[in-house]
Amino acid sequence: MSSAKELVGAIMVYVDGTEGSIAAAQYAVLLARAVGAELIAGYIVNTRALSDLVKTRIFLQEEQEEYQRDIEIDADRYLNHVREFAESKGVAIDLCKRSGNVHQEIRKLVEERSVDLLIIGELSKIRSRRDEFFNEAERAMRGVACTVLIVKDEERVWDLFDKA
Amino acid sequence: MALIDLVTEEVIRIPMISTTKNEVMRELATLLHRAGKIEEIEPVVEALLERERKGSTGLEAGLAVPHSKTSLVDGLVLAIGIAPNGIDFEALDGELSRLFFMLLAPPDQSGPHIEALSEIARLTQSKSFCNSLVGSTSAAEVVELFTE
Repeated sequence: MSSAKELVGAIMVYVDGTEGSIAAAQYAVLLARAVGAELIAGYIVNTRALSDLVKTRIFLQEEQEEYQRDIEIDADRYLNHVREFAESKGVAIDLCKRSGNVHQEIRKLVEERSVDLLIIGELSKIRSRRDEFFNEAERAMRGVACTVLIVKDEERVWDLFDKA
Repeated sequence: MALIDLVTEEVIRIPMISTTKNEVMRELATLLHRAGKIEEIEPVVEALLERERKGSTGLEAGLAVPHSKTSLVDGLVLAIGIAPNGIDFEALDGELSRLFFMLLAPPDQSGPHIEALSEIARLTQSKSFCNSLVGSTSAAEVVELFTE
């Protein structure tokens, strides 16, 4: 019979600052502690989108630089927040900040770190066919080689985390 | 938040009555004010015009994306204006602008701001989508186009 650690040796949670991803991080911390898995939190700074906005001339060069600084700061803030979650439950965590095309970078991280389970927050409701093609978390979910767990019911997760 | 969540009939103006860049800003800001999305019109117009002074957001092929990072809003706010006859928005290609996406975002929401602008950029790469928007006759029709 496989042990829990054999089934899930490394967990990565994708954090993007949304409430859903914060709940996913809390869930990932609890699950990593329960099964004794290695825990990684990944945040991808979407520099691809910034470059595209300059190419299409929606952004000026100075706007690109200003927004990149802003989202780098956001990334650090959210990752530190997740580290606090992990520390509060006595779980070791590795924080990974990358830049580029979001779904591609998630896929690369999963491969490089031999992740067995990718945990993401609840996907936004699909309201048009285009949403399916352009939602980065959705594209990552379809593209990664490992098993994916989508965390739903944020309130229940917050409650579980507080009580754990 | 997906762009489509911001697209509601109350923030769509079709057809626009403005004839100048300043009027476009004011017409769309007024729309947002009536929809309860912003409290004051003039400071928003000034924030948008300040960005325009650095470089026009009138792009090519009739598209304009005036935008500003401002503490005058609590969350992302979008207004869409359609001017079938075109308005001089000092576009980069010198052509008249027909499709206006005005986006306002608070300073602490750079990520969602970038995502929304990217989505606008992606959507408007489709000539047929832009033509359909410009050919729309009502706000309800515009909302429907976004949900296809």
